[in-house]
Amino acid sequence: MRWFGFGFNAFGQICVHNELSKDEGRDTVSDVKIMNPTELHRNVDKSVCGRNKCLKTSQIRASWSRRVWLHVDGDSCVCLAGFGGTSVVDSSGCTDTVLSETHLTLAFSDRIESWDLQKKEKTPAWSMEIQPPTDTSGPPLSLPLVPGGYIATKPPFYRSLSPHLKAKSLALGAEHAILLSATGAVYTWGLGSHGQLGHGGLTSEEEPRAVEALWGMPMKHVVTGGWHCACISDGADLYIWGWNESGQLGLPSQSLRKGHKEESSQQAAADCQSASINPGGKPLEGEKDKEVFISIQAFPALLDISPSCEIRTVSCGSRHTAAVTATGDLYTWGWGEYGQLGHKNLISTDEPQCVDFFKEQKLYVVDVVCGPWNTFTAVGEEEVKLS
Amino acid sequence: MTALWSKLSAVLPPNEEEFPLQFSDKVESSVVSVLQQSRRQLYSDATSTDRTLTAQIILDLSWEKLNTGTWRDVDKEWRCVYSYGCLFKVAALCREHPSADEILQGIRTCDMGLLMGAAIMDNVLQVLVQILQEEVRKSTKEDEQHNITSTFRVKTERPRVPVIKDEQAVPRIKCPSLESFKSDYLLPLRPVILEATADHWPAFNEHPWSVEYLRSVAGCRTVPVEVGSRYTDEEWSQTLLTVNEFIDQYDGAKAVGYLAQHQLFDQIPELKEDIRIPDYCCLGDGDEDDITVNAWFGPGGTVSPLHQDPQQNFLVQVVGSKYIRLYSPEDTDKLYPHQSSLLHNTSQVEVENPDTERFPEFARAPYLECVLQPGDVLFIPVQHWHYIRSLELSFSVSFWWS
Repeated sequence: MRWFGFGFNAFGQICVHNELSKDEGRDTVSDVKIMNPTELHRNVDKSVCGRNKCLKTSQIRASWSRRVWLHVDGDSCVCLAGFGGTSVVDSSGCTDTVLSETHLTLAFSDRIESWDLQKKEKTPAWSMEIQPPTDTSGPPLSLPLVPGGYIATKPPFYRSLSPHLKAKSLALGAEHAILLSATGAVYTWGLGSHGQLGHGGLTSEEEPRAVEALWGMPMKHVVTGGWHCACISDGADLYIWGWNESGQLGLPSQSLRKGHKEESSQQAAADCQSASINPGGKPLEGEKDKEVFISIQAFPALLDISPSCEIRTVSCGSRHTAAVTATGDLYTWGWGEYGQLGHKNLISTDEPQCVDFFKEQKLYVVDVVCGPWNTFTAVGEEEVKLS
Repeated sequence: MTALWSKLSAVLPPNEEEFPLQFSDKVESSVVSVLQQSRRQLYSDATSTDRTLTAQIILDLSWEKLNTGTWRDVDKEWRCVYSYGCLFKVAALCREHPSADEILQGIRTCDMGLLMGAAIMDNVLQVLVQILQEEVRKSTKEDEQHNITSTFRVKTERPRVPVIKDEQAVPRIKCPSLESFKSDYLLPLRPVILEATADHWPAFNEHPWSVEYLRSVAGCRTVPVEVGSRYTDEEWSQTLLTVNEFIDQYDGAKAVGYLAQHQLFDQIPELKEDIRIPDYCCLGDGDEDDITVNAWFGPGGTVSPLHQDPQQNFLVQVVGSKYIRLYSPEDTDKLYPHQSSLLHNTSQVEVENPDTERFPEFARAPYLECVLQPGDVLFIPVQHWHYIRSLELSFSVSFWWS
């Protein structure tokens, strides 16, 4: 698979343009904000990963200032780029990774390790042993899920989960979490102040609570952004909820439109606590005279990406969302000021737009992974199964 | 170097080495490296674009942290980082021959730091904003100022001025002694209007407050404005406007904006000099520094729904008049407070249009009422329920003390 990246690149986590200018502390806009999808690992630096395996990246994860990529091929290899430079992590046998701003967590068949990225230590900050699953019928758990619980982004690292949830996958935002059970049910917990739990209000939940609005509709994929969640149903529909201040829900956003009207393009906290909540399931169709804006969508809303299409996968950054359709197109929407939408500009939008770059290059998009302020896309042959 | 920049840079450390940037572990090293880059750019030959870019990264990142978790829990470190971002941005904006608009943007950026950030480097943003304001005043000529006929003054209809019945009126007393105020009102927690108590304020004498005065002192400053009839409404929200924009935008026909519960006097020290802390606050336990002073400025028709506060309150009316109704905490059971934790100090009842079916007991709750006039000081005892509607353009100052 070939991977492309666009968006925030102040630490060279997508690509390093010019080593010299970095040393002098000079950032130009084009270095920091990558507006055009740029291929990763095109010029493979053999000294980084001596086995020329970087071309077969099977997984990418991104934090605010770094990117980690993993290729599983015989001896697996984990490489890190961004703040602190590029390096190879001692990781033979690694099957899965999670990257936060402070820690890199690696999964092996017999253990989980979390490394503190801010200290250059020779041993992981935390680790735990795991038993290889005796029941090998189901697919292996993916991080941050581990047998019996999950690994959090800050201590205490291991948190247990009730077995009755039958956790199949889990995504963690800064202050909230979404869990998909084996039956396709969705649970959320954490802070709810921006509607990101999808229960219809703004209250927080300490324990996983089922998202009742989705009851009876099995989901197959769940993800979180900074203050929003998205999930894909078995029928390949996209549901989304949470904060819409940058249009990250794909619903009309007043703060976004107001920001565009002002001459300066900054959108510093214009609405600190705006609370026009739409409790209804679907966004209201705008009447001709009065446009209805949604700043918080507290219940899941079905998002139709026009033209209507099946959604294959979705990923969320801090304030943007990216979705891949079954036909190999990438759609992005939300905050775009660092080029993370890939539309060759720095404009945020509350309407899902196709990333034309891949169409123009006749590339078939198969996967997308968002960092907080950037986006990474995998292209490949049609009908490649997602890992 | 422009005259303006020499004034601004005089307030900043003379070189990189003397510019402090210390943070706790909460601020990740990647973020610190960007702050260090901004500091480097401040003292080097960087381009304005580069400086602005780096500052904006700091602002965008810290903005996200400020919006994570509840406001109370946000680590002060991140508010400091946000303020540094504002500082570097202002420096970038106002360095090389800034246009009038860039200076206004600089003022707005300082205000964002003052409103959302935490004080850094001896409250440097406060010093910078006053330099920039002075620059704006110098270049604003008389004829460019807004027309004096303030739209707030245009009354399209007479406000509904309630007639106060004597037996329900809040008692009025002129300049009581500290002892008699304490024994007759503070200890028994009885509301009272103190007349002639704020007469000496410069706000009534040397600098009589008016819309024009406010524009001249604070017109280009950014303040939080509540939008929506009352904070219990679904459509209620807060936005940020300059004082000029707030005054321009709202006409007398309906009140849809209210500069409410804002510590304006910390943000704009010139206004602080026009007011005085009521002497009676010394009867409390706390320090003068613990007294929270808020400004309440808006057109006629603004409503604060019936609610209670956890401290004693002196509400001083400076401009215009307000209708106020008070209920004792003993009658809370007839006032139907909201159940939610966010609003449990607020009644569900619309005081001047109560739904008697949903809230049958409300009509039986005894109350006191008044029309607060300029110069009046209303004592609202702690936990006393109060409902307030402005009858015309109004400016009040509240003092929360314990």
